Amino acid sequence: MNTNQKIAKVHLTSRFRQLLVAILSVSFGISMYIAMNSFMAGVNNIQTEITFTTMSHIKIYNDLSEEITPIIPKPNDSNTILMVNNARNIQYTQGIKNADAIKNELLNLPEINGVALQLNEKVFIRNGVSNTSASLSGIETVNENKLFETSKYIINGNLSELDKRSDGIILGVGLAQTIGVKVGNTISVLTSEGVSKTFKIIGLLESGSKVRDKTSALITIQTARQLFSKNKSYATDVLANTYDYNNASEVAEKVRQLTGYKVESWQEGNSQLESSSLLRDILAIAVSLTILIVAGFGIYNIMNMTVNEKIKEIAILKAMGFNGKDVIEIFLTQSVAIGLIGGFVGLFLGNVIVQMLDIVTFKIASQNTLPVAYRLKDYLLAFSFGLIITLIAGYLPSRKASKVDPVEILRG
Amino acid sequence: MNAISINNINKHFYDPVEFQVLKDISFDVKKGEFVAVTGKSGSGKSTLLYLLSTMDTQYDGKIEINGTELTGLSQNELAKFRNEQIGFVFQFHFLLPEFTVLDNVMLPALKLNKKSKDEIEAEAIASLHLLGLKGNEHKKASKISGGQQQRVAIARALINSPSIIMGDEPTGNLDSKNTNIVFDVFKELAKERGQTIIAVTHDDEFAANCDRIIEMSDGKIIRQ
Repeated sequence: MNTNQKIAKVHLTSRFRQLLVAILSVSFGISMYIAMNSFMAGVNNIQTEITFTTMSHIKIYNDLSEEITPIIPKPNDSNTILMVNNARNIQYTQGIKNADAIKNELLNLPEINGVALQLNEKVFIRNGVSNTSASLSGIETVNENKLFETSKYIINGNLSELDKRSDGIILGVGLAQTIGVKVGNTISVLTSEGVSKTFKIIGLLESGSKVRDKTSALITIQTARQLFSKNKSYATDVLANTYDYNNASEVAEKVRQLTGYKVESWQEGNSQLESSSLLRDILAIAVSLTILIVAGFGIYNIMNMTVNEKIKEIAILKAMGFNGKDVIEIFLTQSVAIGLIGGFVGLFLGNVIVQMLDIVTFKIASQNTLPVAYRLKDYLLAFSFGLIITLIAGYLPSRKASKVDPVEILRG
Repeated sequence: MNAISINNINKHFYDPVEFQVLKDISFDVKKGEFVAVTGKSGSGKSTLLYLLSTMDTQYDGKIEINGTELTGLSQNELAKFRNEQIGFVFQFHFLLPEFTVLDNVMLPALKLNKKSKDEIEAEAIASLHLLGLKGNEHKKASKISGGQQQRVAIARALINSPSIIMGDEPTGNLDSKNTNIVFDVFKELAKERGQTIIAVTHDDEFAANCDRIIEMSDGKIIRQ
């Protein structure tokens, strides 16, 4: 420690209360930055989790509205007029015929984490007199569970039970309530083709999404294929998840080369999700950075006061032969010390606050406590911002101190 | 070589109105001389001293100390020179209140960094003993008497063995007993150590006992 730093140390330690206030203001700013960003990251993660409980990263389906080929091609010579009324395009293909093949090709891609086939159709559910519309989903229980952790949301029953009984069905809680049935009752499912089949309710689905729980009904995809008279490899949707949902659009582009069916990434289908996540991040950073800047003003004030109080001392030091650079070093050292100590205390405090938030009871999605995330980058950024702001806040008064004219001060 | 040599010094104040405070000052001080600068209030003696101290650089003319021309040097160069060659004693002691007596004395030497900390400490303690301050080394500077504080300031001015000691009314704040102690110290430094001392003073008795008196009036030297 050189002489200037020793002087700085004496300055710091001789006014302990002021030092404490300065350190605390830095710590407060930093801990708030960490707390806010950790919380916001947790919220964003939950948002993502909620989204991806029902949405896959990539969806492949037969988009019937595309490529409507004209019934009669436009005539080439100008002597002929073409008029076709009430043109009807009869699609010979509905859904995806050889879904298994597509599934296997997808699984070969290194970015793909899991693939699940679904057969989705609108049906009517009859319970005695009442008739309720529902969205029937024929699923591959194992794959579906891998993608969406569906078994987590099944109550009063087990997802795997569907495989054991070909007449087993799981209803959303809202749907079951509307119909007026519970686990163990039987219901009748009526398709748009007029085919009817009896099912036994073996469980309920409580996903947290009201819409889903009021309209969904789950059976195995094999049972669904039978119900709709489709062959073994038929599906209406091929859903796939990537390891990192951020690169879904790139992977979707790759997949487009493999099939003629429509390939959609979650970003294309739901751009507002990304934007709202980004907005939340911006908000968190803006607020917490503001707090840090205010802390910086506090430091500036304290250092300014210190310089003013010590103006005679500065003059004496200069009279002794300390030059402007020495004076800057003396006061900047004090600011840096405040920034470093305040920074470390702030990191610790921030972590404690986040841990405290972590245990507050709050029911959302699959969590029972407030969502938080522990990210190294929050701590690194908080410390860096804190240090930079403290340095700037301390440099300006230090520079003022270095310009003190000893003659002016000492002669009064 | 003269300890101090100044030629044709002229200085003006501009605030609130233009006023010439020093008019064509020239004199030399030999090494080992104990010089008093006297004159009425406002005669310009303190102003002159601050010019000599290198802290004030607004003047016309030439100042040379120990053969080094100081006119025109940068602030940093002057600071270095000051640290090494000039010991300054003010009317008010201006010790750093949060540091101990010993630390206050050692500070200029630590800054100069020419000797080890232990050497400096030993010299500082010797200086304090010389000035009758034995036993007070580790007290906080704010906790000793006014006379003792001024003597600490003198010890501080001596620590780098400067070629010149400059004092701006060094005994102005002291009672007669302490004034005599300080005067004796200065006298001994000049005689035994060949220290050049130039002190501005209002105390005629103090001045009379010096080797030489430079009397100023209205910015001019009227006797030297």
